[in-house]
Amino acid sequence: MTMTAAPSTDATASSDFENHPLQSVFAPKSVAVIGVTPTPDTVPYDIFHNILTSGYRGTVYPIAPGKRNICAVKAYRYVLDIEDDVDQAVIVFPANVVERALEQCGQKGIKSAIVISAGFREVGAKGLVREKRLVDICREYGISMIGPNCLGVINTDPKVQLNASFARKMPDEGRIAFLSQSGALCTAVLDYAREKGIGFSKFVSFGNKAGVTEIELFDYLHNDPQTDVILLYLEELRDGRGLIEAARRVTRGDNAKPILAIKSGRTPQGADAASSHTGSLAGEDPVCDAVFREAGIIRVASIEQLFNSAILYAYQPMPSGDRLAIVTNAGGPGVMATDAAVRVGLSIPRFNEDTTAKLKAALPATANVKNPVDVIGDARADRYGAAVQAVLDDPNVDQALVILTPQSMTDIDSIAKGVCQLHETASKPIACSFMGAADVGSGIHLLQKSHIPHYILPEWACEAMADVQRIRHWREQPIGDIEALDVDRATVESILSSADEGYLSEDRSLSIMGAYGLPVPAHRLCTTADQAVAAADQFGYPVVLRVISPQIVHKSEVHGVALDLASADAVRAAFDEMWRRVSELMPEAEITGLLVRPMIPDGYEVILGAKRDPSFGPTVMFGLGGIYVELFKDVTFGLAPLDRHTAARMVQQVKACRLLEGARGRVCSDIEGIQDCLVRVGQLINDFDRILELDVNPLIAGPMNKGNMVADVRIRLAGV
Amino acid sequence: MDKAEVEQRVKKVVCQVLNVSDDMITPESHFVFDLGAESTQSVELVAAFEGEFKIEMDDEAALAVDTVGAAVDFIAGYVK
Repeated sequence: MTMTAAPSTDATASSDFENHPLQSVFAPKSVAVIGVTPTPDTVPYDIFHNILTSGYRGTVYPIAPGKRNICAVKAYRYVLDIEDDVDQAVIVFPANVVERALEQCGQKGIKSAIVISAGFREVGAKGLVREKRLVDICREYGISMIGPNCLGVINTDPKVQLNASFARKMPDEGRIAFLSQSGALCTAVLDYAREKGIGFSKFVSFGNKAGVTEIELFDYLHNDPQTDVILLYLEELRDGRGLIEAARRVTRGDNAKPILAIKSGRTPQGADAASSHTGSLAGEDPVCDAVFREAGIIRVASIEQLFNSAILYAYQPMPSGDRLAIVTNAGGPGVMATDAAVRVGLSIPRFNEDTTAKLKAALPATANVKNPVDVIGDARADRYGAAVQAVLDDPNVDQALVILTPQSMTDIDSIAKGVCQLHETASKPIACSFMGAADVGSGIHLLQKSHIPHYILPEWACEAMADVQRIRHWREQPIGDIEALDVDRATVESILSSADEGYLSEDRSLSIMGAYGLPVPAHRLCTTADQAVAAADQFGYPVVLRVISPQIVHKSEVHGVALDLASADAVRAAFDEMWRRVSELMPEAEITGLLVRPMIPDGYEVILGAKRDPSFGPTVMFGLGGIYVELFKDVTFGLAPLDRHTAARMVQQVKACRLLEGARGRVCSDIEGIQDCLVRVGQLINDFDRILELDVNPLIAGPMNKGNMVADVRIRLAGV
Repeated sequence: MDKAEVEQRVKKVVCQVLNVSDDMITPESHFVFDLGAESTQSVELVAAFEGEFKIEMDDEAALAVDTVGAAVDFIAGYVK
């Protein structure tokens, strides 16, 4: 017996989507399962059985050498023995023969392969060699490969109904796509989602992602009419830059879809070798956090939060603002929800007079008709219905949260049904928190059946609403073009051409900064006290002396900095003293000279940094600078090159921005100038691959009318 | 015992353990890819060869043998 029924095509779907290369992964007309065995409760058998019993609308062929049939379906020895065309292969053979199977798939003209088998990159060098051979075969024959080492692929589209996985059950149809690098997590998520009544459009475990990666999957799901939200569980970033670019295409513009992601296990590659501030601050998760934010990816910390936010977005309208009305039958949870809402950035608006009048008419005198509305513990469905309807009708309200605690007279199911009825006509999002477990269970079930997001805790509802606000803000915020800056590239090329690997001297670093238009102080490298005095006379007093030596990174530790030298005599004395003391403390250091430059007027110390991130490439950092930078870690990151809007957001994102804006009556700093410096630093690291890291620490942020100044800069270079 | 006899008896064991017909088997036949051996059957094959030839093989090395021809050579090394 051969199971045959070709999937119907969706006449309304765009032909572009129908022709997408990954259609053969998600909507194959026929599937060969290669390496099936007749033993139930084994992966090879269960996958074939799942496809056969999930309602798959296409044709499925078991490839089982030596077997006449599997589950009463005629079996083939090789995929090449099948007379008809085959769209997809699901390979379940042991790792050592997957290569042969895949080769035959190529010869057969199969366009997609899901390699379930483990024993590749994840087991070490030998496995990596095996995996590379699979990649070569896919490239030769144009096969889109999911895996290896994965759970498989599920498509709940009723026109396809494919469960090419060894998950225990086919999930319900839904609007959420779930992509995961971890196969084991997938099975847990499927079980969790089933309990919560959450369905999926597509479910993909992509394992070692040797072929198809999350980037191609983003593109497919962006165009998938069945998908509204994309959820991602990611352990390893291989092409961070590509991921970000793909995410930006998905999360903005026409047909924008949110991406919510858990990113775990990011190793601080390279951070151990980095000795700059930027290096030590950038080596960990904050870069990923900031970069995801700038790509519109909502990064969450747990599976719970992932689905809390996804169901709100997927099944409720997008709110037009952050104003939340709360309706509760218990004061305490109402206050807790209010606190949580404010903490995550939602606002609790006052109701207008009309709403207040409606609430007064519908509720007892003891009720609180202000936000949060307390309908009082004995409230039944009628009171809840009137209150929720009134707040949803208020033009000052963008969304509502309904809180219920089960009291003896609370008609939980009726209240749930009432909310469901309101939801049918509401144009604003509604979320519920029926607090408890056993007593509220049937009410929660009614809500979930109507796709009304339910949260055990009102705080979770607020967090989900805040995530939806982030999605809204991301779509609305401007992203500019990368400008062609007026920079002196030739000077930088000239300096780098004569520089060795390692740290560049301060005088040359300052020259590079100047060439890229950053405000650098006048400076001169002097080898005699007379030269230093002449420079100071020219620049004007007071001046600073700083030792320059390729062997000295931390100048203060060897008394290599002298500040506030107000006269020629002071300069002369300091020059001789510094040269002598540094020579004594570090006799092995070769002193190139002492740098003379004017004292920079006081201002806030900020840090501008740049670093080549192993995942994301050139990145820019901004934050509170000076000696406390690593203590407070008040920094943020962006991808280089930066546009001016992104640079402005970076400055806004750090707490120190409040200081720069003139907190407590202080003069406002030159914030626009700082943004310009960030754009220029981003351009610099993007233009020159040899620059591994740079720190401008501090940049002295002066008052708006006086501008900023680079006080210190360090640049670390790669070898030629 | 000459190699031809070893080959004939190896084929007989393979047919019995994997439940495949004699005409499916060539020296190049891969136990898994061509003959559909499941992981537990690999262990059964080793045990059956030891019984057939009254030998005791190194388990790890025996399980690494993946084709019929290689099995013949491997067992021939024990029975010569």
